[in-house]
Amino acid sequence: MIHLTDVHKHYQMGPTVVRALDGVSMSVDAGEFVAIVGPSGSGKSTMMNIIGCLDSPDAGSYLLAGEEAAERSADELAEIRNRNIGFVFQSFNLLPRASAVENVELPLIYRGISGRVRRRMAEAMLERVGLADRSRHLPAELSGGQRQRVAIARALVGNPSVLLADEPTGALDTHTGEEIMTLFEQLNAEGVTVVLVTHDPHLARRAARAITLLDGRVTTATALEVRP
Amino acid sequence: MSTGAQLIMLWENIAMSVRSIAANKGRAVLTALGVMIGVGSVIALTALGTGAAVSVEARLGNLGANLMIVYSGQPRGTALVRTRTTNIAPALTIDDLAFIDSLPPDLVVMTSPESSINGQLKFENRNTAATVIGTDTDYPEIRNFRPVFGDFFTPADLEGRRNVVAIGVQVYRDLFPDGRDPLGTTIRMNGLPFTVVGIMEEKGNPGQDASVLIPLTTFRRSLSGSDRYAIINIQAASPDVMYQLQEIIETQLLAFRRLPSMELADFYIANQMDLIGTVRGVADTFTLLLGGIAAISLLVGGIGIMNIMLVSVTERTREIGVRMALGAKGRHVMTQFLTEAVILSAGGGLIGVGLGYAGAWGAWRFGGLAAVVSPESVLIAFGFALVTGLFFGGYPAYRASRLDPIEALRYE
Repeated sequence: MIHLTDVHKHYQMGPTVVRALDGVSMSVDAGEFVAIVGPSGSGKSTMMNIIGCLDSPDAGSYLLAGEEAAERSADELAEIRNRNIGFVFQSFNLLPRASAVENVELPLIYRGISGRVRRRMAEAMLERVGLADRSRHLPAELSGGQRQRVAIARALVGNPSVLLADEPTGALDTHTGEEIMTLFEQLNAEGVTVVLVTHDPHLARRAARAITLLDGRVTTATALEVRP
Repeated sequence: MSTGAQLIMLWENIAMSVRSIAANKGRAVLTALGVMIGVGSVIALTALGTGAAVSVEARLGNLGANLMIVYSGQPRGTALVRTRTTNIAPALTIDDLAFIDSLPPDLVVMTSPESSINGQLKFENRNTAATVIGTDTDYPEIRNFRPVFGDFFTPADLEGRRNVVAIGVQVYRDLFPDGRDPLGTTIRMNGLPFTVVGIMEEKGNPGQDASVLIPLTTFRRSLSGSDRYAIINIQAASPDVMYQLQEIIETQLLAFRRLPSMELADFYIANQMDLIGTVRGVADTFTLLLGGIAAISLLVGGIGIMNIMLVSVTERTREIGVRMALGAKGRHVMTQFLTEAVILSAGGGLIGVGLGYAGAWGAWRFGGLAAVVSPESVLIAFGFALVTGLFFGGYPAYRASRLDPIEALRYE
């Protein structure tokens, strides 16, 4: 599903060049639950931006669902994101003036799906994350865990190739974070490919496999014990 | 993208814009205020300009339809509205009049010569001064100046050189302050007895309201003795022939006098088209000036829109980032903000149209000013408001569309 081959990404920071990614190669297969771990400054965010097609590598190749995603125009990247990536952010990033169901509809709007179909798909997805009865609520009227569920529904509604979660429990208390992780596991069991980006090795252990980054390189691609 | 999908996007953009405007109602109103005032002032001010032109033109038509006047002397001021010619030696001859009368009816419909002197009028113990005009019976038609009470003098009066007089309304008020029926009453004019046959309509212009009209034949025999005319009034067949007619008459009258050019002539010709042209020119300048002022206020309104849209883009940087992450392309973001700017300016424009009508109505109702709202000014002002929104919304929308999604998502 995801194939990074010798990916480089450098930034100019004043006089010094920061090698955020310095020859990274890795793969994630369809249906996997993979964690990308590393301390801050390890190149984790850059990695996630490239996997999420928010950014293009300076060198190397990135195959996403069989398609070369490197060296694409901004519009082409937008289209790839819309079709293949479902983002879940640490701070939820819901639109505050839109109701839960309207937030979930957003990716479908940019796919040009008509209002009625969109609404049906969004309602179904909210039901899948257990929020059928909250669909008309504004984000401010929902708890943190509920907001993240809305965000997950929004990420999944377009049936993407990968669910890409960036510290999804970072803004939640332990209990709620646990619920969200359980939801990821459940979705993964239903066949969703999940890539979890985190600095927390404890959380990474919930994934089937962890890829550890340090100074822009993959240090270990640990195969964790397969969950029962 | 298919047309269906584009329509869906358009609808979504409108819905999102309305929601975003509704979330900041006070700010939206303030933003659109400039456009409202701009559009409103264009409509109201041009309505006043048009109204002024229309009312002046109506007043000019009031002088008489297709009126052209041959005057004695040299041109001075706006000749058509000047009727006091008593100090100038009459210079127009019977031959001049005969020539003009001989012109075909597709040029000249009718003519009426006139001469005048200053007269002193007396009835019982009351005195008043008036311009005494000797003329013929076509005068009321040509000058659109008719009796409202009684009659004008008749061809028989003209034939018999009778001492009859139709008096202007100011003269009537001066001599008969008790408001009595003056018909048949004898008044004295420079010592001579004249019988009142009618009261002329009020024109609101002292030259006519403070005049009295008597048969030209009587005028010549009793008051002046000259066989020349001070003025020849002409009703031309149509506005289109006026300049042609003027040239024919000038040429022939110069030939009669063996003069090479109008600079040396003892007569001149004024026609209604000159005045209407002058008035229209002034009105056009006025309208242009008002249009310019209004365009500046629309410009200011547009800058207001740009300012608020830039603020809005900055405030919603994160939203833009989220939308981009979810698959919005640059042009989606661009059209979203453009739609918002256009809705603001169109809303402001619509309210401005209402304000313009209200302003024009108020000027008419409370200021007594003639105001004519022209549909063109409404269309132009509203169209200009839309263009302003597109133009000044364009830059902020472009900036929004060029945001880097990573930066935008990180924006606090």
